[in-house]
Amino acid sequence: MASNDHYVIAGNGPAGNAALNTLRKNDPESRITIISDESVGFYSKPRLCSYISGRIEEDELFIHEDLSFDNTRLRLGQHIQSIDPDQKIIFLSHMEKINYTKLIIASGSKPSPSPYMTQFMPYLKSITDFHEAKTHKQCIHDAQQFLVLGGDLVGFKFIDMLISMGKAATLILYPQAFWPFVLDSDMVDRITASLEPKGIRIMVNDRIQSIQDADGGYQVATLNHARNEIEEHYCDQVFAFSGMTPNIDFACKKGFDIDHGILVNEYLRTRFQDVYACGSCAQIFNPILKVYQTTIGWTNAETQGEIAALNLLGANQVTRLAPQKYFDLEGVKIKTSWWDDTDENPNPDGDF
Amino acid sequence: MKSSTQFKQDHSSASSPYFSDDVRDFSQVEKSIPCQEACPAKTNVPGYIRDIYEEKYGRAYEINRACNILPGVLGRICSRPCEEACRHGNDNNGDSVAICYLKRSCADLKSPMHRIIEGLYTPTGKKVAVIGSGPAGLAVAHELAVMGHKVTIYESEEKPGGMLMYGIPEFRLPRNLLLSEIENILRLGIDLHTSTMIGKDINLEDLHDIYDAIVAAIGCMKPRTLEVAGEGLENVYNGLDFMKMVNAGQTPYVGEKTVVIGAGFTAVDCARSAVRLGASQVDIHMRKTVELMRIDAHEKVEAQYEHIGLHGLMQPNRIIGENGRVTGIEFLRTRLEQTDRSPYRVSVPIENSEFVIPADTIIAALGQTPDKEVIFNRAQQSLTMEGYFSAGDFVSGSSDVIHAIADGKRCAQEVDHYLTGIVRKKKMVRIEPCSTTDRDRSFDFISRTAMDTIGLSERKAQLTAEVESGFNTEQAYEESKRCYLCNLRYEIDPQRCIYCSACIDVMPKDCIKMVKGIVFEDSGAYQSYETSQYWNQATAISIDNSKCIRCGKCLEVCPMDCISVHKTELVEVDLASESFE
Amino acid sequence: MNTFDIVIEICGSAGEGTISAGEILARFMSSQGYEIMSFDSYPAEIRGFGKCVAHTRVNLNPIYSPGKYADVLIALNDKHAISQLGFLKPDGILIYDNQPASFHEEDQSVAGMAEPGVTLYGIPLTQLAHEAAGNSRGRNMVSLGAMACLMEIPKDDFVTAIQNRYASKKQIIIDNNIDSFVLGYNWTGENIKKIDEYSFKGTEPAPPEDKLIINGNQSVARAAIDSNISFYAGYPITPATKIMEIMGKELPKTGGIMLQTEDEISAIGAVIGAGFGGKRAMTATSGPGFSLMTEFTGLAVMSEIPAVIVNSMRGGPCTGLPTKTEQSDFNIAVAGGHGDAPRIVLAPVDTTDCYEATALAFYLAEKYQTLVVLLLDFFLSNSIRNIDVPKPINPSFLSANIAPEPDQLNGYQRYRITGSGISPRTIPGTPDGMYFSTGLEHDENGRPAYDSDTHEKMTRKRFVKHGNALDEAPDVVISGDDGDLDIGVISWGSSAGAAREAVDAARAEGIKAASFSSIMISPFPEEKLKVFADRCNTLLVPELNFTGQFADFIINFLQRPVVKLNFVTGLPMASEDILEKMRELR
Repeated sequence: MASNDHYVIAGNGPAGNAALNTLRKNDPESRITIISDESVGFYSKPRLCSYISGRIEEDELFIHEDLSFDNTRLRLGQHIQSIDPDQKIIFLSHMEKINYTKLIIASGSKPSPSPYMTQFMPYLKSITDFHEAKTHKQCIHDAQQFLVLGGDLVGFKFIDMLISMGKAATLILYPQAFWPFVLDSDMVDRITASLEPKGIRIMVNDRIQSIQDADGGYQVATLNHARNEIEEHYCDQVFAFSGMTPNIDFACKKGFDIDHGILVNEYLRTRFQDVYACGSCAQIFNPILKVYQTTIGWTNAETQGEIAALNLLGANQVTRLAPQKYFDLEGVKIKTSWWDDTDENPNPDGDF
Repeated sequence: MKSSTQFKQDHSSASSPYFSDDVRDFSQVEKSIPCQEACPAKTNVPGYIRDIYEEKYGRAYEINRACNILPGVLGRICSRPCEEACRHGNDNNGDSVAICYLKRSCADLKSPMHRIIEGLYTPTGKKVAVIGSGPAGLAVAHELAVMGHKVTIYESEEKPGGMLMYGIPEFRLPRNLLLSEIENILRLGIDLHTSTMIGKDINLEDLHDIYDAIVAAIGCMKPRTLEVAGEGLENVYNGLDFMKMVNAGQTPYVGEKTVVIGAGFTAVDCARSAVRLGASQVDIHMRKTVELMRIDAHEKVEAQYEHIGLHGLMQPNRIIGENGRVTGIEFLRTRLEQTDRSPYRVSVPIENSEFVIPADTIIAALGQTPDKEVIFNRAQQSLTMEGYFSAGDFVSGSSDVIHAIADGKRCAQEVDHYLTGIVRKKKMVRIEPCSTTDRDRSFDFISRTAMDTIGLSERKAQLTAEVESGFNTEQAYEESKRCYLCNLRYEIDPQRCIYCSACIDVMPKDCIKMVKGIVFEDSGAYQSYETSQYWNQATAISIDNSKCIRCGKCLEVCPMDCISVHKTELVEVDLASESFE
Repeated sequence: MNTFDIVIEICGSAGEGTISAGEILARFMSSQGYEIMSFDSYPAEIRGFGKCVAHTRVNLNPIYSPGKYADVLIALNDKHAISQLGFLKPDGILIYDNQPASFHEEDQSVAGMAEPGVTLYGIPLTQLAHEAAGNSRGRNMVSLGAMACLMEIPKDDFVTAIQNRYASKKQIIIDNNIDSFVLGYNWTGENIKKIDEYSFKGTEPAPPEDKLIINGNQSVARAAIDSNISFYAGYPITPATKIMEIMGKELPKTGGIMLQTEDEISAIGAVIGAGFGGKRAMTATSGPGFSLMTEFTGLAVMSEIPAVIVNSMRGGPCTGLPTKTEQSDFNIAVAGGHGDAPRIVLAPVDTTDCYEATALAFYLAEKYQTLVVLLLDFFLSNSIRNIDVPKPINPSFLSANIAPEPDQLNGYQRYRITGSGISPRTIPGTPDGMYFSTGLEHDENGRPAYDSDTHEKMTRKRFVKHGNALDEAPDVVISGDDGDLDIGVISWGSSAGAAREAVDAARAEGIKAASFSSIMISPFPEEKLKVFADRCNTLLVPELNFTGQFADFIINFLQRPVVKLNFVTGLPMASEDILEKMRELR
């Protein structure tokens, strides 16, 4: 099925790469462009903490995809500014137009700092991509006392890593940070019960009042609303993990239906013919539960990437949920798809 | 449609201001000044921003007031269609100019010695009753009073202002400011009768006997209801009633979990008021998506800052209660579908997708409809009767304040013509040569001035504390620099241009074009350029005023001095007076 | 040895300030104590929108080649920079204008065409230039500012360098340039997150010494002035014109004359005339001009008149590639023209050599009464290096004419046959020193003589003289391992610098290697090369011409095969290419 199509994949993560492989296999003649705003190739985000702790080398992070096809082009470090789905043009922020015939949006998610945090941004570090991991690796090794804000998936991985590295940490947990899930008080209690014996101090919902440089580290004042008490902490590093939000700014106000993510039907098609969305940037209609679901997790992304590609090529596959549906957060099982009511045994080795 | 290379020549060498009613000039002004065109009241935005730059706040206030009698109010709560249209907000031009904040700043910063200017006509001896003292009613009354008619306003509520007084929370619109701007209108000899409901306290027929004309500007005060089971339970409010209570100084009950239904300003106002009343968790739920909310981005950020959750794609199915009180609400999930009419995307419920969330307060802020039955028992008949007019939301359905004011003015002119048979004014384009643009290229790189706001604790401490602090003179000055001054018209004289391309070399945007010809609209107005990439096809080099950001660079480099700049202004001139100036 | 080595390229369209930005960069780096080599390429057409590339290599140690691949590419023009991307290292940095006036079509943007691995930094160059100075002329300075910030180069020192560069200009121009630079620097600091690892931080160059920032042409011209030249005749031609420009400026100051003739034939004629009159004279040209001069070169040889011709080689034949470099005039320089016409040919390797070889050329021309050809090339003529101030010229070089002893003036024989082949020469006007000078074969008195005996004797005399000049040859440069070698790299002219660097790199990889080069090409130090060649398993001869003109020349007396490595790309010899060949030959 040779075609004159130009398939564009927006995103170089698990969903984008699964889509790429599927397209490559089923339509080898077509021209494919993958656009990623990161400047490094496909790598495993879930393993960033292992890389920081030194358990794996930099090289082991990267998943070497075969791009040695003449008609496949990887564009790294290039940001999508907007999409015109009517004219089928992608506008890149360096002011270049790309014409596509079919598009798969697999742009993943990005950190969503709470409006409160913005004033403290200069003091807060995070681990959202390879570059940040690489930049902060050394200072994490050097530091002893950590203050960790938030409590999304990466945040808990980070805490685990700190425990394994023998570091001391205080976690200020914001139950809303765990997008797209909100931790209830029972979950918070169970997480606390699990982490505190490992030497992590947990505070819930305390607000940052001030952060100041002090002795090479930081002096942080937090306010506990319930007790109306201000507490002072000293720490070497402050890390914030304030949850993720779909990385879809470029699609806003361009006619796409967007709730939390880009709304797609069970075939992963957006409201535009020839435009598909998959992975954590998409909100997928579940015909059984009759709800648009956001999903996270590597396996979900890969599965959806493949299905989006197949449907784009003319198949009509309904998204199936990946078999692994739970993350294990300190003994608390958290579903990888929001509002999903199906009951299944959680996979204890959940990776994301 | 015809194609031509003929360029308009007539006045380009004039050195003093002149007036034009050429369709091409009207069309050029419309296309080139997007903010003014987007404004229902056709406010001269570049004109007043330039005055702010020159620190003539009073003059800026009067420019506003000429089109919109409540500048201080609109400077706070306008829906800002101008900012959507502002060329500074186009792709790769940055953010739109903070037009609304600047409007507020001319009201805030004008001297306490400032004098209102009114161009009053001779009294006509005619009497007009205006029913309703909302924005439309006030606009009608003011305009008619200026024209010399004796106006009386009837207001059913205790205080004037309509939705401004009762719908919009005080933390967005301070009441002393509102009342002072209303007072400025009433000073033209307008009588105001409050707590007087037409159809109840006075019959419409009686009014008809007293007045030469009657204007209904009663707005949309009839709230839409949820039309679901359980609506009568305790602690279920409709948005407007809720806001009325809050604005009347009452403290309606809000529980721990407050659910607001709606997607417009009222929904956000209710939610933000609930936060101030002590609700610990407030969420807004809407049928369509959060992205499609009918509020501006700024309002969304403020809501989120106040910890209000926004949730899309669900519609209420029934309200659940125990012992007569609300305990929860059942939603149906929705999906979006396409229609061929505005608003194009509509929500459709998904069958069997019910789910329940707990709630102890529910506010249904679904908007309002005109309450025609209240006054006009024989509504259909009345509206077509001679001497009856209507204005504002009452005519157009629930819209926004600036639309209402613009429609009030329109209605007043209709009434005036009915009463006097005179056409007083004519629209013209005033064109004035400018020797300099007086605008620095560096202004284009100033980023939008953020509005200072008070902190969350202060907001909660006092229900009525105004959240936005307004610009100080420095902020207003900086922001005023950002306006591109789209009212300046740049033209290249094709007779003098030597096609050196010096202007094209320095153009900051894709704004100067080699033109093969011009496409005209049927009206004779310019429609678009036929551009060419090839020199041998170009018959002229032309500045695209819809792309131009008025940086003035082309003017500087032109060796032939063939680029002219004219300041254009849409004006209404008196037909009767001897001269236009 | 510190391995710090960065190549920065600025690529733009003619008129965008590409070259001047490169110059400022080079001067700044030099002022900080770095060793630099910079080389610009620009279109042959003077007007228009051709591609300009300012290429600067910065190192802590002296460098001899420009480096083939850039670490940093600053794109002032997307179209041109796209064609330059092939010379950007796979992990290099691209700095580009991310806010052009309108959208590029697909694949028309340099950022879009960069290979994965290249780090992209989009800077709104035009906007910032407008912001700083109200127009787009300062884009080059904005881009330098952005680059300096990303490379962690201190801002203030750079500002001083800009100030110095524009010192003679109006204050507004200085201010605009500095404002543009500073805005580019600050904007980048505030808005760009550096994610690459290139940096000047911690490189600690040696404290700056008194250096000359100079290109080959300037070096030649300076040496000529210092050699007391009093006459220059020439006709402008790229890449030699600069020499003529300097002469036109400098010679009148010392009472000398710069004469622009109607063509190159006339120029060499005038130079030989001046030589006959006892003045030191020179012309400079490139291949096309040198071809025209060949007829006259015979006169200088036959009538034994000193003359110096600088031939800065460019791509040929014919008008060829006026702004590209090549080493394809070897044959014509060594053996051009008709007849047995021995002439001295010197081929400097670097900018310092240019100075010393020029001083030597005047000395040899005068002492050996013959034509000396100085072979430069476009790259050597135009590449800028910061060199130590050259040592003063040996006083004996400045007055080298061997005049007859008073007793020899009795029955003075201008072309007397001597053991050295050098016949004492009188300057016209010397009492009793009159003689005939002719292009015809002549006897010792200078009278035309066509008999076999005289022609044979006189030809031999001229060749003996030529051969003896070898004694005056600068030392050959052998750099690398001692003892037996896997590979010996023999090269000449500007390619020899790249060969030295390639050998260093190869040795670091464990290849036993050394390089050999001689500034004197004709006569050639054959014995020294034979000794060197005997140590080598393989001989590699890299040069910038198609057939291997120099390789053929040495095969002739080495009597063994060599591996030729030839490029006619118009680009300077790249050490990377030689190294690759050496790996292959290992």
